[in-house]
Amino acid sequence: MSENQNINYLNHPKGIMSWLLTLDHKRIGLMYLFSGIIFFLIGGLLALGMRLELAAPGNDFVSNDTYNSMYTLHGAIMIFLFIIPAIPGALGNILLPLMVGAKDVAFPRLNLASFYIYSFGALFAIYTIVNGGVDTGWTFYTPYSTQSTSNVVPMTLGIFIIGFSSILTGLNFIATVHKMRVPGLTWYKLPLFVWALYGTSLVQITATPVLAITMVLLILERFLGIGIFDPALGGDPVLYQHFFWFYSHPAVYIMILPAFGIISEIIPVHSRKKVWGYKFIAYSTLSIAFIGFLVWGHHMFTSGQSVFSQIVFSFITYFVGIPTGVKIFSWILTMYKGQVSFTTPMIYALSFLFLFTIGGLTGIFLGAVALDIHLHDTYFVVAHFHYVMQGGTIIAFLAGLHHWWPKSFGKMYNQKIASLCALGVFIGFNGTFFPQFLLGLRGMPRRYATYSDQFSELHTYSTFWSTILGLSIFIAILNLMWSLRKNNKLDPGSNPWGALTMEWTHTSSPPHPHNFESDPVFTNGPYDYDKVIVEPTLKK
Amino acid sequence: MSNEHHITPLRTYLIIAGSLLFLTGVTVWVSFIDLGSFNIILAMAVATLKASLVVLFFMHLLWDDKKNLVVFVMSLMFLGIFITFTLLDTGFRGGINPEVKNSINSKASFYDNLPLTDTHGNPVDSHDNHHEDKDDSHH
Repeated sequence: MSENQNINYLNHPKGIMSWLLTLDHKRIGLMYLFSGIIFFLIGGLLALGMRLELAAPGNDFVSNDTYNSMYTLHGAIMIFLFIIPAIPGALGNILLPLMVGAKDVAFPRLNLASFYIYSFGALFAIYTIVNGGVDTGWTFYTPYSTQSTSNVVPMTLGIFIIGFSSILTGLNFIATVHKMRVPGLTWYKLPLFVWALYGTSLVQITATPVLAITMVLLILERFLGIGIFDPALGGDPVLYQHFFWFYSHPAVYIMILPAFGIISEIIPVHSRKKVWGYKFIAYSTLSIAFIGFLVWGHHMFTSGQSVFSQIVFSFITYFVGIPTGVKIFSWILTMYKGQVSFTTPMIYALSFLFLFTIGGLTGIFLGAVALDIHLHDTYFVVAHFHYVMQGGTIIAFLAGLHHWWPKSFGKMYNQKIASLCALGVFIGFNGTFFPQFLLGLRGMPRRYATYSDQFSELHTYSTFWSTILGLSIFIAILNLMWSLRKNNKLDPGSNPWGALTMEWTHTSSPPHPHNFESDPVFTNGPYDYDKVIVEPTLKK
Repeated sequence: MSNEHHITPLRTYLIIAGSLLFLTGVTVWVSFIDLGSFNIILAMAVATLKASLVVLFFMHLLWDDKKNLVVFVMSLMFLGIFITFTLLDTGFRGGINPEVKNSINSKASFYDNLPLTDTHGNPVDSHDNHHEDKDDSHH
């Protein structure tokens, strides 16, 4: 605090070029954050557009072709341009070196390169939007994706390029965790967010190359007709799905593991209690990362794959439930007899527990072959993955954003508005997606712009609540941005929540350009609330 | 990682080079023998062995930091997972719908341009006979 407040990474050095060519992980993280939020906004508007179309049966608002483009772009943008890069790229970049007591990531130039590779790939996505969209769905299934006249090639090329950014970020984080930890910070004293990023990075570097291969094969199939996915040429369209899901199922864990990490940080801090089952949480992260590679076939139960592999994939899918359950119970036990305060990050974290559990349990329904054959490609699936991806990852992202906002900027947002928005997100989210479980059970297929009258009541509910959800998220983000204006009365201090991880205890908020003013000395474990007394600097 | 480079004796290089040439010969030799579905397995096994020799000796992985070996073995393991599980699908299809049994359609139009042979390389009947029940919709 005090005089150090004047020099921090936000104001030193100055000038636009010092941002564009920065090697500072915190600045790169912020660039990821703001570009991620822009794509979140675009993806969100597409979603609201779709809900508007679905408010009533019939094509009232957009044509079928436009609708096809809308859901494809919504999926592709949210996944490849927002969720996958956002948490590791933004929060991970800002926090990982601070949490391990390092001056920067292991390879700062590579880190900047990752951001520019991401931006270059994003240009292809923007070109796709401007040029009339793409209509295959975000999965680009063959044979349709080899025949569609929409912009399949630019979009897949963009995803191919963004994949490299993902691999390089993963590589950077792994090297940072191995080599840059401050002396004394052993593996079992690492904050759990670091474990989560480490697990994510392992998946990123092992799975993402397969996505790149898949996209290259698809492009070759379109341009040269090599026939690997075309039965008329001796190929197999289902092979595409094997390739695609070999990446994209682990990618689900690229999306959710960092979210688990955020929740593991927030719950102990806001419950003033040592995390329960530290090693269980750490190892469950690694086992989820590994089991995630063995279950991809559960996306393909109706694709015509062999009955034998259906049974094998279905069986292994249930194993994912074990480490996930371990985490949920550990978080609940962390709160037990703790001093829980209902701050904004904690409200989001509690929503996460509730929503993610619903998302996870409905995943078990879908993992059962017999039930999945009925539910496949219905709104049940749509509701399930939104409970996991939005109710899980995006809510955790918002939680993390509100938790580390005072760290990143040294400013406190209006907490009343933020907490109200958190409640709005929770209620709006359930209102939007719970009816979709019912719609799916009644047979409403996904990816249709119109539907028969029997579904209209539930669709209308869903659309109504989606506006509340959209508005709540929009105001929450606006509220955060508003806190950045110059005259902010409330000073959060360097450690507003009274946390014990190094990014809070060893440096000012916002941090020094080189993270720590002198070489940090590791003093206490990240969750030693039973041993160390630390006072929150934020006064109510 | 060790700071000094491991000096490999020339003899080792020559032995490995000789083994690689020998294994190339093995690949050529077994291609003349029909082992049915083991053809591909044997060819891949020989190729993997050769690649491993190159990586271990010529690229010095054997004397490098063992962490790098772990990464290499992990990449092989993930490739193994991908191929094994995909084969669990393609190898066992047709349990419910026999028409999807063969993952590769031997009646595909692609093969129209090739002379049709049986597994021993002897010419068989013309394309017309072979395709009597073929669906022409994709033409």
